[in-house]
Amino acid sequence: MTFAEVVAAIGGKMVVLTETADRKVRHVVGSDLMSDVLLVDEDDMMLLTSLASDQVLRTAQIVGATGVVIVNDKPVPDSMADVARELGLSLATSNLSKYEGCVAVYKALNGITT
Amino acid sequence: MEERPFAEKVPRSADLNEQPLVILELIQRLKVRDVMTTELLVAARHTTLREVQDIMKQIKISGVPVAENGRLYGLISIDDIIRALEGGYIDEPCQKHMSTKLVVLEDDMPLSFAISYFDRYRYGRFPVLDRNQRLVGIICQRDINRTLLVELTHELRRMEELTGGSSAPQDDYAGLYFFREFPVSKFDFENAGKAATTIKQLLQERSFPARLIRRVAVAAYELEMNMCVHSLGGVLTCQVSNGEVEIVARDTGPGIADVEWACRDGSSTANDWIRSLGFGAGLGLPNVKRVADHFEIRSQEGEGTRVRAVLVLASENKPKEESQGSGGG
Amino acid sequence: MLTIDELVEFCGATAVVVPDPGVEVTGCYTSDLLSDVMANAPEDCVLVTVQNHRNTVAVATLVGALVIMVCHDREIPEEMITAASNEGVAILKTPLNQYHTSARIYRAFGS
Ligand SMILES: Nc1ncnc2c1ncn2[C@@H]1O[C@H](COP(=O)(O)OP(=O)(O)OP(=O)(O)O)[C@@H](O)[C@H]1O
Ligand SMILES: [Mg+2]
Repeated sequence: MTFAEVVAAIGGKMVVLTETADRKVRHVVGSDLMSDVLLVDEDDMMLLTSLASDQVLRTAQIVGATGVVIVNDKPVPDSMADVARELGLSLATSNLSKYEGCVAVYKALNGITT
Repeated sequence: MEERPFAEKVPRSADLNEQPLVILELIQRLKVRDVMTTELLVAARHTTLREVQDIMKQIKISGVPVAENGRLYGLISIDDIIRALEGGYIDEPCQKHMSTKLVVLEDDMPLSFAISYFDRYRYGRFPVLDRNQRLVGIICQRDINRTLLVELTHELRRMEELTGGSSAPQDDYAGLYFFREFPVSKFDFENAGKAATTIKQLLQERSFPARLIRRVAVAAYELEMNMCVHSLGGVLTCQVSNGEVEIVARDTGPGIADVEWACRDGSSTANDWIRSLGFGAGLGLPNVKRVADHFEIRSQEGEGTRVRAVLVLASENKPKEESQGSGGG
Repeated sequence: MLTIDELVEFCGATAVVVPDPGVEVTGCYTSDLLSDVMANAPEDCVLVTVQNHRNTVAVATLVGALVIMVCHDREIPEEMITAASNEGVAILKTPLNQYHTSARIYRAFGS
């Protein structure tokens, strides 16, 4: 599944759509601490986080993420969307909590429908 | 044939116009040690100012370092001598009158660094120290002019040869060089992280291996954020030379009381506010250590912190070499 | 409802502090931001986090979380263990990341 497909499957809203959204998601990280995100060694990860800041995007870009989903229905500041565009990184939001978001992504990626 | 995946493009005769300014490339490639004078005449702390004046006259220089056994104590400038003559204390030892607030350069800094120092501080010369803080040379603007003239002449000749179309492009990454410097300000969360992003882009443009770029970017980001979060501000530099990428973070304080503790997984002095911004897991320095081939940290409470991470290009290339035997193009 | 034993089993976790082996959690909240936990975590939940910090215990107590599940097998500092024993909060740790831990806990609730 691509990042765009995962976002659709969990009922998220795409805020900034770039070409990274067409990449397949092979790894999922649900973290709010930047150094913890940087620990990830796998490519093609998607990040779920409850933090809406520029640093989230910069960190995700450093490890070559496919995209970022801000959970908890957090409003995304305009400046953050600008940074996402500047970095060419896809950005979405979701009204799920991070736990629910992780579960929804897990179900989507594993074809669980209930 | 072996492929070198990250060779800097060397201009062929046709695109010489697109070549970067030679002088810029030179001042980034040359190090302070390539330019400085190593034949040092130094004074000891007990040397009198009159003797220093004699040294100055003799070799026509306007500044003499005060050093003993490689350790630098101060500098006597021509102004100090003039003041001593006016004040009538020319026979006193220089220890009493030397300037001790010194701005120094390190021998492995790029020449561009030295040039910016001359611009910023308007001193006539800077003592040069090595990694171990020992005095190894002194550099003045005359040294820079002389070396640049020589190097420019070389470069001109090389370009002419290239225009002649005879020499093949040397696609060897060991010869690749670049240097960049990024200021980092305390608590400037809006701009923090930009240096690491820029470094990542620069390496991508030069087609470095993706794995290496990621490791470099992680190290740069962690060190940049540490200066933003924990220090009074500093400078992040990225230097590519001799097949190595070197990231150095230097700040002006407040330093780290217990460096060993700080490098341990989970150690952090971050407060709740910092943690609410997504930092302070105490994972940053361990992360840098993990991705770097060589890691060094120097810090003292009340002074600055300097962290150096080196990533070797060859270490990324190894799996490639192993697969070479399997043939194929 | 999940018991400590079930959490341990499903997440491949290690028990670090278990003041009351009989507690059962009714929900899960995954977060590394203590302010977020404070604002949004449900009562009687297991908190999935990488924050191996004494303050995590304080926040768990405030919101009524019963168990803290620390991811990436991060070492639990002594002061966090002491705080948890005093406050009656359990600490488990798992080698999984927050995403996989959440997925396992979801499956545990379903089984
Ligand atoms: N440049 C610096 N100046 C002063 N102190 C520093 C500096 N860099 C690190 N430290 C100290 O070392 C500690 C550990 O740093 P480290 O990067 O490992 O973790 P952190 O920055 O606290 O959290 P994280 O990196 O996970 O966000 C910091 O909490 C701080 O006390
Ligand atoms: Mg840090």
